[in-house]
Amino acid sequence: MRERARIVTRWGMVIDLDRCTGCVACEVACKSENNIATVPPDQAAMGRAKSWMKVVAEVEGEFPDTSLHFYPRPCMQCDNPPCVKVCPVAATYINDEGTVAQIYARCIGCRYCANACPYTVKYFNWYGPEWADSERQHLNPDVSVRPKGVIEKCTFCHHRLQQAREDARAEGRVLREEDYQPACQEACPTAAIVFGDLENSTHRVRQLKDDPRSMRLMEDLGTAPKVYYLRPRE
Amino acid sequence: MSPSRRSFLWTMGAAATAYGIQDTTRVFWSPEPASQAGWTPGIEKHLTSTCLVCPARCGIRGRVVDGSLIRLTGNSLHPMNRGGICPRGVAGVQMLYHPERIAAPLVRVGPRGGARWRAVSREDALVLLLERLRELRSAGHPETLALLAGFCSGTMEDVWRQFLTAYGSPNYVADDYQDGTESVMRLMHGIDRRPGYDLERAAFVLSFGAPLFESWWSPLQAFVAYADPDERNGQRPRFVQVDTRFSRTAAQAQEWVGIRPDTHGVLALGIAYVIIRDQLYDTRFVADHVSGFEDSIDAEGHLREGYRSMVLRSYRTEEVSAATGVPVERITSLARAFAENQPAIAVCGMDVTHAQRGLMAGMAVHSLNVLMGSVNRPGGVLFGQDPPVAPLVTPVMDDTATIGLARGPAGGAGPQLGAHGAANRFAGAVVDGEVTVDTILLYYSNPLASSIHPQTWRAALARVPFIVSFSPFLDETTSQADLVLPDLLPYERWQDASPPASYPYPVWGLARPLVDPGTSGMHSGDAVLALARQLGGSVAESLPYDSFETLLKQRARGLFAVRRGMLLGNAFERRNQRRMEERGWWLAEHAEFEPFWQDLVERGGWTDPFFDHTDPARLAQTASGRVELMPDAFARGAVAAGLGPASYLALDTVKSAASTDFPLRLIPYRLSTLASGTLALERWMSEAPSLFPNVHWNPWVEVHPETARALGFHDSDYVWVVSSRGRIRAQLKVFPGTAPDNVCLPYGLRHPDGALANPLQLLDGDHDVLSGLASWSSTFVRLERA
Repeated sequence: MRERARIVTRWGMVIDLDRCTGCVACEVACKSENNIATVPPDQAAMGRAKSWMKVVAEVEGEFPDTSLHFYPRPCMQCDNPPCVKVCPVAATYINDEGTVAQIYARCIGCRYCANACPYTVKYFNWYGPEWADSERQHLNPDVSVRPKGVIEKCTFCHHRLQQAREDARAEGRVLREEDYQPACQEACPTAAIVFGDLENSTHRVRQLKDDPRSMRLMEDLGTAPKVYYLRPRE
Repeated sequence: MSPSRRSFLWTMGAAATAYGIQDTTRVFWSPEPASQAGWTPGIEKHLTSTCLVCPARCGIRGRVVDGSLIRLTGNSLHPMNRGGICPRGVAGVQMLYHPERIAAPLVRVGPRGGARWRAVSREDALVLLLERLRELRSAGHPETLALLAGFCSGTMEDVWRQFLTAYGSPNYVADDYQDGTESVMRLMHGIDRRPGYDLERAAFVLSFGAPLFESWWSPLQAFVAYADPDERNGQRPRFVQVDTRFSRTAAQAQEWVGIRPDTHGVLALGIAYVIIRDQLYDTRFVADHVSGFEDSIDAEGHLREGYRSMVLRSYRTEEVSAATGVPVERITSLARAFAENQPAIAVCGMDVTHAQRGLMAGMAVHSLNVLMGSVNRPGGVLFGQDPPVAPLVTPVMDDTATIGLARGPAGGAGPQLGAHGAANRFAGAVVDGEVTVDTILLYYSNPLASSIHPQTWRAALARVPFIVSFSPFLDETTSQADLVLPDLLPYERWQDASPPASYPYPVWGLARPLVDPGTSGMHSGDAVLALARQLGGSVAESLPYDSFETLLKQRARGLFAVRRGMLLGNAFERRNQRRMEERGWWLAEHAEFEPFWQDLVERGGWTDPFFDHTDPARLAQTASGRVELMPDAFARGAVAAGLGPASYLALDTVKSAASTDFPLRLIPYRLSTLASGTLALERWMSEAPSLFPNVHWNPWVEVHPETARALGFHDSDYVWVVSSRGRIRAQLKVFPGTAPDNVCLPYGLRHPDGALANPLQLLDGDHDVLSGLASWSSTFVRLERA
């Protein structure tokens, strides 16, 4: 087996739950950027709605001593991703920069990965995407629409990285931290989402992930997510 | 040589082995995605504009590829939203390309509401309307033209008003968002304007039911204060939310205080009691700038009780606790925290003023700001000013117009102390035959869906011979129209759009076309200007503008000439500008108007970051020059309305009660993700309208788990929410943040078939006799299985 190239870049995300207000701008921005289609009401009722980024809410206590916690949940982009291990056709794989990617043309729709993912962030296309003719005009030409029968997931807006790299090359400079931002981070009105290279000491994510408030979801599973959360203060 | 069977099998086996031992992630074959024949890379543009989806009017940027709007993001130069955007703003692309958008002007064929239409050209549609308008004027009855205007502000409002004035109709009927706080400010400060809140520089924000992070005037203003308070070295104000339900704002605030419905004003005076008793109020501000605090002797020699005596006598914490359900120690700690963390702001939400004693409750909440001197100072309540754009020409009125205007607005003058409920009064007057309306123009108003009294509206519209709608969607009321002249969508038209009054600094935001509007609709502003031109005479003289775009450019000359403020800029530029203006300096960025205008379009607007806190006119414009805690006008109004002379004392005299038939109190609330009924809902929003994980497309009702159990309902059951006036089908959501004796029904949801589920149509019709605002949470309902 060929040895994988030494990782010099690991894209990761830090989400500050102290700043998040649960407004779901990130959710909708993701859908807009990545051409995520809605599903009909009956399909949505069966849990088949897709949302690569999903704000998850948990309620504790009863009136008037209620508290509500919410956290935006994209793909955790694990360093040790369970989904990659079970894919029989290598349609889902972890690339050289640590992003867990999905090759739609390769996916056979077995849904092993969706079952293996402890974060339930892989979405299956039970039907082809339905867009009215007029709605096709707002589709992002940088992102392919997924056909029926394949799994789709958050890509950290990988197409933006490609664009940013090309721009940087054209301008003869290195890639800057702010050049590559996923749509969710760009939309967040409270700047709760920070994105960057976890291996680069000048990037904010690198500093924030070592914050005392930092944690990751289901760390005990050993999946080593690259999405970190900062606990709310107080 | 042909291969033998043996060699063939050997070759295949070796190939398969070699295939298997390679790194499997690299050898699978995938076809390159093929592009369509003739495809070429698109031209990409990023254009600045202003969001017109809700009243917040945030700055946006649109990514346009090959003439199609692909993405909407926030404009980082806009001082209010600073690059942030809300979900509805992002979903605007789905509104622009909504499949149900009206493709061309429509003329009704067959009976009204029969959904049969004939598409006509824009010119023909305008001629139809023009002929009607000419007839009314030549018949000497211009007042039979009425405009029902939904949320309408800035130049568009000015143009409509100017048109109606010159035409001769007094019937500009506002059917917009109302929270009644401008009535509170008019009474207490003599300033007829909704208050602005300097959230960013406040240390403590006590919100009485204001959905700051959801569907407030400007959620983005609150987000910025919450997450980016650059004025306070990054230190966040402490947010405390007093609310009848556990809202998302309550969840995100540092502290939540659950309260009984319609008792916000009582709690405010309970807090005032502690502040006065413990001498925590700003004695200097009260002595210098406030009247009505102390007892006084009036001209007839009678003792008039002041605010202090009234509060100390009638709002003791034990009594307030019993009325509101908030524990005594909580009231005390809230009062101390409010007084000690200065500057502090008490924000009055729509829940407070939409009550039978709403105006009083609004005054009670604002009295906390007055006690602490939190008015016209950084971090307090600020009265903003409109951007200094150039005015329209003075309207010219011929004899016909003068006669029409003299006939007065339909529906009369309105309630004692507020101007609210005008739309419903208008509908009532039409139904009762008090006025005759020949032609009604609907501009972003959909009363059949959004009004509290849809039946009255249905009857009123039935008496109007000609209904014209400017809606780009066939909403409930537009379906009844005789002529539809669809407006362009927000991303296709020129419009000015200033943030709501809650943002205290003047901003003149500019919305401009991001995409080519095509031929499907017509800018309503251009339509009005064209009508005026064609009507000729004094009407044409009153609106002598070629197009709405040139009119906006004309208005921007006022900003160019004013010698203050700046075009939208980043935080450094804003701070720099403010510091200069504080010192009396101003530097021109542009020597000529044309480059100024180009730059204004490019940046998205104009703003003035300087606020003159020393201007006494921004504190009070009452006759005494002081802030009135116990305004005379209010006392007179209360007497006239039969409430007696004791101003705040009637607060807790309202007792609405559950009955066996209707045991649960209905709490309607607005959702941030949804429209108010005039614009179509985007599919992304309908699919996931809330944080509830399993709510999609359907209206829902929130019920406490114990209540649901007692009634035998389970989560996701379908129920009818039944009041004495009607019923709404909804999906039951068990939510422990709802009080056990309440049910909460969000406003703005549509069923999958498109019908709006409007909880306001269940309301019992109670309203505040002083302000005219409807009471939102005094109605009781029951749940039935659907």
